Order: sequence, then C-alpha cells, then structure tokens
Amino acid sequence: MIRVEELQKRFGALHVLKGVNLEVQKGEVLVIIGPSGSGKSTLLRCINLLIEPDSGRVFLDGTQVNRRDIRPEWVRQQVGMVFQSFNLFAHLTALQNVTLGPVRVLGTDAAAAEAQGRKLLDRVGLADKADAYPAQLSGGQQQRVAIARALAMNPKAMLFDEPTSALDPEYIREVLDVMAALAMDGMTMIVVTHEMGFASTAAKRILFMDAGRIIEEGSPEEIFHRPKQERTRMFVGKILR
Amino acid sequence: MPSASENQRRSRVRIVDILLAILVTLGILAYILDVLALRWGLSTTYIAKSYPNYLRAAWISLYVTTIAYFIGMGIGFVLGWARSVQTLPLARVMAARRREAVAAADGGSPGAGLFLGTVFVYSIKYYVRRTADAYVAIIRGTPLFVQIVFVWSAVIVFYPRLDPLFQGLLSGVIALTANTGGYQSEIFRAGIQTVHSGQVEAARAIGLSRWGAMRYIVLPQAVRLVIPPLTNEYIGLLKASSLLAVVGSVPELTTFGRSEAFQTFHIFEAFALVVGIYLLITFPVSKVVEWIERRYRVPGLGIQAPRTARV
Amino acid sequence: MAVGTILFILVLQTVLRFNILDPVLWALYFPSFLDGIVLTLRYLGIILPLSAVIGFTVGWARIAPFRTLSWPLSVFVDFFRGVPPIIVVIFAAVLGPSLLPARFRSQDIGIIIAALTLAMHSGAYQSEIFRAGFMSVPRGQLEAAQSLGMTRGAAMRYVVLPQALRLSIPPLANEFAVVVKDTSLLAIVGGFELFGSSFIFEQQILFSPGNQLSWIFVVWTAVALVYFVMTFAVTELLNAIDRRYHVKGLEAVTV
Repeated sequence: MIRVEELQKRFGALHVLKGVNLEVQKGEVLVIIGPSGSGKSTLLRCINLLIEPDSGRVFLDGTQVNRRDIRPEWVRQQVGMVFQSFNLFAHLTALQNVTLGPVRVLGTDAAAAEAQGRKLLDRVGLADKADAYPAQLSGGQQQRVAIARALAMNPKAMLFDEPTSALDPEYIREVLDVMAALAMDGMTMIVVTHEMGFASTAAKRILFMDAGRIIEEGSPEEIFHRPKQERTRMFVGKILR
Repeated sequence: MPSASENQRRSRVRIVDILLAILVTLGILAYILDVLALRWGLSTTYIAKSYPNYLRAAWISLYVTTIAYFIGMGIGFVLGWARSVQTLPLARVMAARRREAVAAADGGSPGAGLFLGTVFVYSIKYYVRRTADAYVAIIRGTPLFVQIVFVWSAVIVFYPRLDPLFQGLLSGVIALTANTGGYQSEIFRAGIQTVHSGQVEAARAIGLSRWGAMRYIVLPQAVRLVIPPLTNEYIGLLKASSLLAVVGSVPELTTFGRSEAFQTFHIFEAFALVVGIYLLITFPVSKVVEWIERRYRVPGLGIQAPRTARV
Repeated sequence: MAVGTILFILVLQTVLRFNILDPVLWALYFPSFLDGIVLTLRYLGIILPLSAVIGFTVGWARIAPFRTLSWPLSVFVDFFRGVPPIIVVIFAAVLGPSLLPARFRSQDIGIIIAALTLAMHSGAYQSEIFRAGFMSVPRGQLEAAQSLGMTRGAAMRYVVLPQALRLSIPPLANEFAVVVKDTSLLAIVGGFELFGSSFIFEQQILFSPGNQLSWIFVVWTAVALVYFVMTFAVTELLNAIDRRYHVKGLEAVTV
C-alpha cells in the first residue's frame, strides 16, 4: 500500500537519506530500528510529505503522491502520524484534540465528530478524560489521545515516530497495548521504535536502518537471532542485552 | 521530479530574496528621505554648521542620564533586595499573628487591643516591604512627565530663587533618579529571585551562613543575569531624559533640537540630527546587548524585564 | 492597596503642606480635570486598538520566511525602539500636516498625526511581543496539525494562533499600561489630554498672584492618581482576559 523508491534527502551538507526503498502491504506492521541519526524520522516524514524529498518517489495505493499536482494535505489525511513528543494541542481538551481534524479538515458535523471522538477515546481507554487538558494528563495518556486524534481522520495507514521514547517506563506498556490492538484490528502501520518486545510480537517485518540506508530487512526472528549483516549484528547485540 | 536541482533552486530563491530585501529596504528609505528632503528642503550647510551644538546637547543628555542612572542603581539595588523577600509567607505569617494578637487582646478592652495588635504585630519588615512596593507601583503607574513636573513644582516652590537652569537640572536628576530606581529595583529583584531558589539552601547545606550564601553564591550569579536588562535600562533612561523638554531650561538633545527647529525653521534638519544622534547611541548598544543575550542564553534562565521606555 | 494609597496621600499632604480636598481649587480645576480625562480616554480609544493591529501584523510579518518583507519591517521596529517617542511626536505634529493636502492642515490634525505616531511607536514594541508569542509555540504543534491534513493556514488559525495570543497577553498588559502613560506626550504638541490641560492650569496658578502655590501639588497628586487608576485598570482588564482564557500548562518560555 505504501511504497518508497530511491528516496534522497539532504539538509545542507548532511546527506540524511541515501536512496531508501521500502514497501508495506495493507494490514502489515513494519518496524524500523536503527541508531539515532540514521534518518528514520526523516524517512517517516517523507512518507506523509511533512518533508519534501530531494529525489525519489513515494507511492500510496499505487499512485505516486510526491508530485506537484497533488496536495500534501490530501496525503496527510490518508496517513496518520503519532509523534515522539505527542504534540497534543495544548489549548484544547482531549476530546477537542480528537475532533479538531474531522471538523476542520474533513468537514464532519460537530455532533458526529464528538460521538466518534468519544468512541475513539474509549477505544484507547480514556473515555473519562475527554474534558481534560493535555497538561493534566500523564505522558502515556497524552500519547494515547494522540493516537485517537490520528485515528479520528480514518487514515489508511499510521506512522509512529518513536512513540514511547519520551515516556516514563510505567506508561510505556499502556501505549504499546493500544498499538498492538490497532495492529490486531488490521491497521497498516510503520513504527520507528526501540521497543524490541513490541517489534518481535507485533511486527511482520523489521527494517534495520543506519546512516541513511536500509542495511537489512527480515522477520523479527531473522533480524534478532540470525542477522546477516555485520552492522545489524552489532546494533542488535547492543540493544538485546 | 524533485532532484538535486531543487536544492539549487531553493538557494537561488534565497539569494534573490536577500537582494530584493536590501533593495526594498534601501529603496523605501531613499524614497522617504527624498520626499521629506524635497518637500521640506534639506540644508546641508545647516547640518554641517550646527552638528557640534547638537553633539554638545547630546553630551548633556548623557551627563544627566548617567548621574541619575548610578544614583538610581543604588536605590534600585536596595529596593530590589527589599522586595525579593518572599511576601506570601510574610503576609500569611502577619495575618496569623494578627489573629493571635486580636484573640489575646479580647481580655482587656477589645477595641484598643485590636488596633494595637494590628499595628505592632506587622513587623518593620512588612512595612518596609510595603513601602518599597508602593514606591515602585507609583513610579510604574504614572507617566514620567507627571513625575518630572511634580518634582519641578516642588523645586520651584521651595527654591524659587534658583536659576531656572539649575531648577530644571535638579528636578530632572531627581525625577530621573527616582524613576530609574523604581525600574532597576524590578531588575535586581528578578535577578536575585531567579538565583535564589534552591541556591541558598544548597549553600547553607555546605555550611555557609545566610549572608555568606548571599555574598558568594547568589550575588555573583545575579550580577551576570542582571547586566543585559541593566544596559537596556540605561538606553531607556537616555530616551526618557528627552522628556526634560517639558521643563525647557535644560539644553539636552531633545530640548535643543526643538528650540533650534522653531528658531531657525530648519525643522527637518533638526529632526534628522536629533534622531540620528539618538539612533547612533542606542542602536549599536541594543544590538550588542541582544547579541550577548543570544549568545549566553541558558534556556529557562533569564529575566523578562518590563519594557523600560516608560514615558 | 486602597488603604495604602490614602495613607500615602495623607503623608504627602503633611510633608508638602497642601490639602488635596481644597474646595476652592476644585471649583476652578474640575472642568480642566474632567475634560483632560475624557480626552485621554478618547486618544486611548484610537491608539490602543491601532497599535495592537500594527503590532500583530508586523509581528506576524517578521516571522515570515520572506526577508523582503521582514527586513524593511525590522528597520521600522528598530527605528521606533531607538528613538525617544517625544521627539517623533513633536516632529510628526509639526511636519505631518504638510504631508496632507492643504485643506486638511491644522494644528488639530497635527495632534491626531502625533497620536497615530504614538500608535506606530507602541506597535513597534508590540510587534516584538507578538513575535515572541508566535515563536514560543512549539514547532511540534504545527507539525501535528499538518499531519492531520490541515493546510498551513488552517494550522495557524486553529492551533498556533490561539496559543500564541494567549502567551502574548501578559507582556501586552504591560505595554498597554505604557501606552496609557504615553498619551501624556501629546501635551507637548498642544493636546489637551489630562497632563496637558493640568499643565496649562498649573501655569495659570503659578502666575496668578491670588492663588496658593500649594495647589500645584494637589493638581499633580490628583493627576498621578488618575493615571495610576487607569494603568491599573488596563492591566487588570488584560489579566482578567488572561485568566478567562488561560489553559494550564501553557506558559511562556522566559528568555
């Protein structure tokens, strides 16, 4: 469903993406691992066009989307994103965060958006926090609201940029549970994470990325226990204590 | 298809943007000056002839400003210190003490007890703090014009036989000193309070007395925090000294420019000279301060000083 | 605080030997006093909104990535911040009318032009406030809004701006108080707002033999009091707005 061909991106003198190729099928969960600075975040942001790649092609459902005649906003409605720092809208309640997208972008009527919003908050386990402001919520709760917010747009796929890296340990579990449930419901997901437990159980495939290139890809079993590349072996060795 | 040429295009746009910006800025300035000079006539002879007088007037402005600034600094420091004492606990303690005193006085005549209890229970510290608060509130809440004229009236009433120049000078210095004292106290207060939390505790934990903590830990740090806003305050005071024009007898830069303009009818030239000199002094200094602040900034640490151009 | 003010005035009265409630004086002074206050309020009615509009627009424009727009505006801001407002007021009142077609020229127009210049002056300072407000909103907010499919404009309108404005209110309250005080500058070009009319009245007292000199202090104490009340009212009004729209956790990053 999502395909990326030969993506290149430079920031000034820094060559962040050096010809990345990637493909995700509908309903598949793809996990990307790799050291910091390897370009994982940039890669995700090129997929929903928050960052414009220098060259290469991004495909959604077979159509190339990084074209001048396609509005990036349209792409972003189809592909949701969850951020490492949650980025909840601080001046809105949880429910308002979730309904803002449908009401202002999709033109959903307010009552319908609110009903859907409450359902989604319930789905992530936060029905009772609908009227709370982000500052009143824990990190884990904020991230779950962020997931509900992205789901409210009925995306075809979801991108997760290190969703649990900014969380206190006791809150990581609740977010991963929501993500796992999402995967079970058949959502197409690309997840950048360091959580190897999640990677081994939920992911169908894992990509190892380093210094702007995909070094190796395979099933969790293959990557973690039988890595073919030396760099993969070194990285996996460091994180799987 | 975006390619490496996309980056080239972007840097080309950037260059064009910069060139256009310079062009537009200079163009607008040139146009304004042209229109103004054309309409009001720019006599370069006048400028060439009289700029030394303007510089002399500027010197007087600086003179008055500097005196007021440093005396005001003394006042500001003391007041800032006084005001950095925590009030909330103080007010609560006072209220609690007052309640106790009122209860204790119920035995004798309740009225007198209440009064005495209230007045004497609020310690000296509280009154000092409240007076300092009032002073700063008045300075910040009233226009400098009013402050100057108030002092000037007092000087005229009490020293009617003094030469007008000295009357003006005295009023000006007093008013500006009082004014900058109020604003500088806010700066010092913010500086002391920013450093204070936790530091005094830590200092005392290693055995320093409260005074020692102040002297070796709090103040050295506060000094560093306080320099940029204090520099801005000097610039602000210089601009405020222009308000002595209302007095009229002190030939500082604005007063001089104004009288020149109305006597010689070279209005625009006078304006240009006065504005030019002020900008010459204030612009570099404020840019340097901005640069220092940006360079040595620690996120989350710093003083949000209120705008000091307080007319 | 009211108690303190009354106490302070009583102390002042004793030291400087005047009586603030002198009925003879007030019979003479009250008309000028009232007219001055009304005129001050009318000037504020023009200057405050105008300066806010200028400040917001310029602050917004200076964040734009187009240097062509932001550089000339930076010059504008730096000019008004580097020059004492009184000098700009004086020359705007004197030179300004000559920029207009002949039939509009009069001294009154000069004062209006000076008032507009004050609005520009405060606008320059306010642009810095608004600009800081915009920059205080974390970049991730814009990203998140865009990731939902909002255009940049919609993201600005529903996410960035609401937060930026809330952050700007406290420093804005301070700036508005300064504008209230700035209106006194109009006196020097003939405006009869509170300071101006009181100053003229004071000159009359000084030069009429029958009147007591101590009346001068009454006048200025009363004037100071009124300004004090006005600045307090303005800051309290904005603080009330701030409290009404305040969202926990949305605080400005102090630089």
